[in-house]
Amino acid sequence: MAINVGYFLRESVLNFRRNWVMSLGAVITIYLSLLLVGVSMVLGVIVSEIVQSVEDKVSIQIFLKDGAATEDVEALQGWLLADEMVDTVNYVSKEDALERFKEEMAGSPEIVENIRENPLPASLDVTLTDPRQVEEMVGKIKANETFLKICDRPDEPEESLKYGQQIVDRLFAFTRIIRLIGVVFVAMLAVVSLIFINNTIRLAIYSRRKEIGIMRLVGASNWFIRAPFLLEGVMQSLLGAALAILTIVAVQAAVLPRLQEAVLFLPVDIAAGMMIQLALVLVVAGVVIGLLGAGFALRRYLKV
Amino acid sequence: MVRAMISMRGVEKYYVPDEPALAEVNVEIEAGEFVFLVGHSGSGKSTFIRLLQRELLPTRGQIIIAGQDIVRLKNWKVPYLRRNIGCVFQDFKLLPNKTSYENVAFALEVIGRSKHVIRTQVPEVLRLVGLEDKMESYPDELSGGEQQRVSIARAFVNRPPILLADEPTGNLDPATSLGIMSLFNRINKTGTTVLVATHDREMVDSMRKRVIALESGHIIRDQHRGVYGYGD
Repeated sequence: MAINVGYFLRESVLNFRRNWVMSLGAVITIYLSLLLVGVSMVLGVIVSEIVQSVEDKVSIQIFLKDGAATEDVEALQGWLLADEMVDTVNYVSKEDALERFKEEMAGSPEIVENIRENPLPASLDVTLTDPRQVEEMVGKIKANETFLKICDRPDEPEESLKYGQQIVDRLFAFTRIIRLIGVVFVAMLAVVSLIFINNTIRLAIYSRRKEIGIMRLVGASNWFIRAPFLLEGVMQSLLGAALAILTIVAVQAAVLPRLQEAVLFLPVDIAAGMMIQLALVLVVAGVVIGLLGAGFALRRYLKV
Repeated sequence: MVRAMISMRGVEKYYVPDEPALAEVNVEIEAGEFVFLVGHSGSGKSTFIRLLQRELLPTRGQIIIAGQDIVRLKNWKVPYLRRNIGCVFQDFKLLPNKTSYENVAFALEVIGRSKHVIRTQVPEVLRLVGLEDKMESYPDELSGGEQQRVSIARAFVNRPPILLADEPTGNLDPATSLGIMSLFNRINKTGTTVLVATHDREMVDSMRKRVIALESGHIIRDQHRGVYGYGD
């Protein structure tokens, strides 16, 4: 067996060098498709982390009309706290709201300066134990009589509530589109890499047709004849996979810290375990593409 | 009863309907025999040889080699059949980028023989064919006769019980052909069954071996100590 492995490796490397342009083409297409797989995986992880952190921050703001009776506000607050979906309830006065607004708008002093009287309503900020229940809780609040009595705009109670469901939904929709585009691109590139490998193996078979004829003649077993070609396909795709992994690791090391600096409030970290998983996925995908591409070529062009 | 090494019963081969390349072929060849297969081009000699190699399957009939029905042989077992059948061709089929030694060694290498076996058997068989001085020569540095000797060495290095040759002297001059034929004779003396397809009249007549004559796919004569044929 030891002789065979050496023989197969020698033959595969020789083939690779003989058709190095085609082989390089195959390696590059595999590299690109695996890189895309890797990048979309990384993006997927980052986006889902962001979604998670946004969800954590999802709260319901209930705007109160000016001059709402304190006992009504307290009643509403008490009713909210009694609900088991609710985690905390915070009262924000008109002054607090204005203060917060001024802070947020510190970059645009002209807006702040133009504020004469306080246009902002007081509010109750409600956070939930489980952000996914936002919709349900909002429904409950809308049905509450005290809320209808003291809300900022009794004619349109809907407008007196602000909550992050839309943001979460939009983020999810966005990631779905990104994933879909990713899957389509990856599928197309996978097909292109299959075609490339198929072609390089076909050329390799063609350039060695004399040897193959003699091997058949003297009784080399079918797998002995096929093995170098399969190995060549796998080597090409492993090379592509290795390049893709290296690129992702390098880009991650160079870009992520800067990205994190730019968007302090969002987590853009990738766990080491995740990177190992990613590398495994790419290697396995590469081997599968290599075997498939070479296998197709052998079925079509190598009669044993 | 001696079991035949090669046995063909009712073998027919059609490439196109109604035009048999071979028909009604019934042949028994005993182990250790030397047989010439003669006939014009297109008489079915090559088809005969290729059926025995299982390069082709017969349209009808049974082919048994060393007790094994090769028509029913599973595809993956074919290589093991071929290890027992050495083949020599008119065009030598040598690899131009390999020396004589490497060409012969290649045949052992690809059936998984160990380096040790290769190192002992290759020089031995090259000595047998008289090329001990040309082991490191490339095919284009050898004469036609020498190239054919290398190809015979390759066919015989694994000591197969059967040696098939399809027009082995077709590209060689008469004197060289004689040398090749006496080499086949020596190989036959070691007990190997040898079947040579040829239209080299002089050769066949001088050797006085069994002759099977084909014409349009039919066996028209099967004669021990025979000659090439009459008239034509």
